[in-house]
Amino acid sequence: MLTLLSMFYYICLRRRSRSGTRGEALTSRRAVESGQRAVLPVSVEVKQYAKEVLDFSSHYGSENSMSYTMWNLAGVPNVYPSSGDFTQTAVFRAYGTWWEQCASAPLPFRRTPNDFYSQDYIELGFEEPVYPTAVEVFETYYPGAIVQILACSHNPLSQNPPTDVRWEVLWSGEPNKAPTPQARQFSPKIKHINFPTNLLRLEVNSSFLDYYTELDAVILRGVKERPMLALYKMPLIDISDLSDSEEELSDIGAPFKQGGDGKHQKTGNGYFDKLPYELIQLILSHLTLPDLCRLAQTCKLLHQHCCDPLQYTQLSLQPYWARLSDASLGHLQSRCTLLQRLNLSWAGNRGALTLTGFSSFMNACGLSLVCLEMSCCHFLNEACVEVISQTCPSLQELNLSSCDRLHPQAFTHISKLTHLRRLVLYRTKIEQTAILSILTFCTELRHLNLGSCVRIEDYDVVASMLAARCRSLCSLDLWRCRNLTDRGLTELVSGCRLLEELDLGWCPTLQSSTGCFQQLARSLPRLRKLFLTANRTICDSDVEELAACCPSLQHLDILGTRLVSLASLKKLLQSCPRLVLLDVSFCSQLDTRVVQELSGLFPKVAIKKSFTQ
Amino acid sequence: MLSVLSYGRLVARAVIGGLSQTDSRDYSLVTASCGFGKDVRRGVLKKGMCYGDDACFIARHRSADVLGVADGVGGWRDYGVDPSQFSATLMKTCERLVKEGRFVPSSPVGVLTASYYELLQNKVPLLGSSTACIVILDRQSHQLHTANLGDSGFLVVRGGEVVHRSDEQQHYFNTPFQLSIAPPEAEGAVLSDSPDAADSSSFDVQLGDIILTATDGLFDNMPDYMILQELKKLKNTNYESVQQTARSIAEQAHVLAYDPNYMSPFAQYACDNGLNVRGGKPDDITVLLSIVAEYTD
Repeated sequence: MLTLLSMFYYICLRRRSRSGTRGEALTSRRAVESGQRAVLPVSVEVKQYAKEVLDFSSHYGSENSMSYTMWNLAGVPNVYPSSGDFTQTAVFRAYGTWWEQCASAPLPFRRTPNDFYSQDYIELGFEEPVYPTAVEVFETYYPGAIVQILACSHNPLSQNPPTDVRWEVLWSGEPNKAPTPQARQFSPKIKHINFPTNLLRLEVNSSFLDYYTELDAVILRGVKERPMLALYKMPLIDISDLSDSEEELSDIGAPFKQGGDGKHQKTGNGYFDKLPYELIQLILSHLTLPDLCRLAQTCKLLHQHCCDPLQYTQLSLQPYWARLSDASLGHLQSRCTLLQRLNLSWAGNRGALTLTGFSSFMNACGLSLVCLEMSCCHFLNEACVEVISQTCPSLQELNLSSCDRLHPQAFTHISKLTHLRRLVLYRTKIEQTAILSILTFCTELRHLNLGSCVRIEDYDVVASMLAARCRSLCSLDLWRCRNLTDRGLTELVSGCRLLEELDLGWCPTLQSSTGCFQQLARSLPRLRKLFLTANRTICDSDVEELAACCPSLQHLDILGTRLVSLASLKKLLQSCPRLVLLDVSFCSQLDTRVVQELSGLFPKVAIKKSFTQ
Repeated sequence: MLSVLSYGRLVARAVIGGLSQTDSRDYSLVTASCGFGKDVRRGVLKKGMCYGDDACFIARHRSADVLGVADGVGGWRDYGVDPSQFSATLMKTCERLVKEGRFVPSSPVGVLTASYYELLQNKVPLLGSSTACIVILDRQSHQLHTANLGDSGFLVVRGGEVVHRSDEQQHYFNTPFQLSIAPPEAEGAVLSDSPDAADSSSFDVQLGDIILTATDGLFDNMPDYMILQELKKLKNTNYESVQQTARSIAEQAHVLAYDPNYMSPFAQYACDNGLNVRGGKPDDITVLLSIVAEYTD
């Protein structure tokens, strides 16, 4: 009896131990039943670090460098869990609202949707496509900037050209700032999607942060097999996921159905018939673009209103970058004949926009165009820029920021746009002859950005040309221009007396001993922004000269100099009542105690002191 | 009968060995480091790979094994600058460059140039100077590429003899070529050599070759014959044996450095130049000992 019982218990225990995890047992049993080898359990999670950084909108560091550049986001973390301002992290070019306060900042576009916060982005490729279950971002300095995480259906590692590229939002949130600048691992709850992905895109907004945010690494966790339970976990279909704006935009082409023949046509639009035309136009001017397109499909009257070119004097397609295509532009063409400001930034990559669609649109709508934002538009080639120069004779603002695949030859066409007032060429491959040609013909330039333009050989010649030809220059960004010397700077400030903003950050060849900074202060009484980041030669006399000559100064960055003392800064803060930003990070004479003292005396000034721990 | 067979086998092997000129195996360096800071107390506080003001690094990449030494110039201490910061950051940056593949195996000068450039990109205002010696083994081509700036250097030993060595680069006595970042007010007065000024060389290596990379703390205290004597004891390519030999070399040099009666190579050189001195030269000593072996993942 006992032996029978013990045998019974033994068999039961064996069975229980053999079953292990139920999923495992189920699949292996099924496999055994179907006569195959046992397969891996369905829910094996793969953890991957980013393999490659594919694209990004900006970064703090130098091209060809590994310090503070976006390429640091690939691979395993270098800094985490330490916090601080380290070279091995990925840092964007700007933070806070300082750049928006500058005269060189573009006016915001109307109809920007309330939930579009993104200012910068970075795209990462991973080794294997998976169905994502989690995304973890290691933020090591002033976290809180990430506002959107997206996944793409295209495999960037494959040799095939992209077809049917879809982007899905895994998570989106509002920009905020973390309570401390310390490192953290950010892992929001992401949506489940129905395609495998190995291409992620992070979009950031640093406007609430007190200093540059820094990212160290990104982990993508996912499963290789489509999770079976995903269907049940799918959230209720969000109304904004339905028929994207592209559908609306493409529906516009469809002929509107008439209710019967003209005789029996009802004019039953109710009170809408009594409202003045202009009033309906005013109401419609508050709608976002997708809503406008949906409204156009409701009735003939509103269709007429929604397609009125007066509603399309400003058009920002940047929030819809993922869904924009040649077809969308084609459908918008007829309404954009009075277009004055167009924002196509970030759009058209991976084959979504082509020369054909773009030039057709520009031919139809370029005549009255005054402002064209095309930051990070990698579909642009020389032919496209030529089209712009031919179809937009009145263009005053052109932004080609980070169009780093654009061939140097393309920039020669910009000199035909003689009415240009604002030109942004940050991180492009423009060369010496092209920029000199532009400066010769575009004499009305007010705002010029040549930050990180590494192909320009001699910045002294460029400065000289600016002083000669562009005398109404108001802002100039020469961030990381590697060979500007005191000679060029002195010529520049003697010719462009109206300069209000000057960014000379990380220009290593400017020496204070030549007196060029004092000359600068004396020549530019209207100066509001001056960045002398990492110029190790800035000294007390330079700061005192600024205090004496530039009372309108608002932003000053003197990061990394050992030669500036508390006394001269006090003078500066007393003489410049409008100063709101002062960056004295890594200035060895100004430790945290000194900074606290200054902050106490001048509470309106944001005094920045970065740290490495 | 058997002897005929074994003889035949020997002959066959020799013939085949002679015929197969190209060895398609990938090579690697089995490297160990050892050293002593001049001021033992300071040396202990630093994290690994720093000995006093000296620093070194060992890095692996798919295509190459890279190592380097840097001797921080001590004179900066008088101006309130920590000389070990420059050499340590230089070596760490070289290591990072290699790990991220931002280098060309045939150009160790490129590694130095890129690393020096990265030092200038740091927000923190680094000051200081150091010598540098970089050694790269290209796994596939079996070539050793070297670059030396200053008075650190390397020896390549094959069959108990030195087959390659680096030359010292000095501006004048005890003033080697050096990479430096000076404060702006001292820019004219501080010696600053460009990475391009480094001596480079490239040559083939064979399995079993021993490469000794060290700062002048070793070469100024231990003449070649003593080093070779120690290296004879290295019989195989185990890491432990290499580590043991590196340690014994470094220890011996450390002892000799403080011997006041010993005629060190440094003292010999001084005498040859008219200075009547004897004894070792107390200095930071860094030794990287490598042996060429087959590559295993």
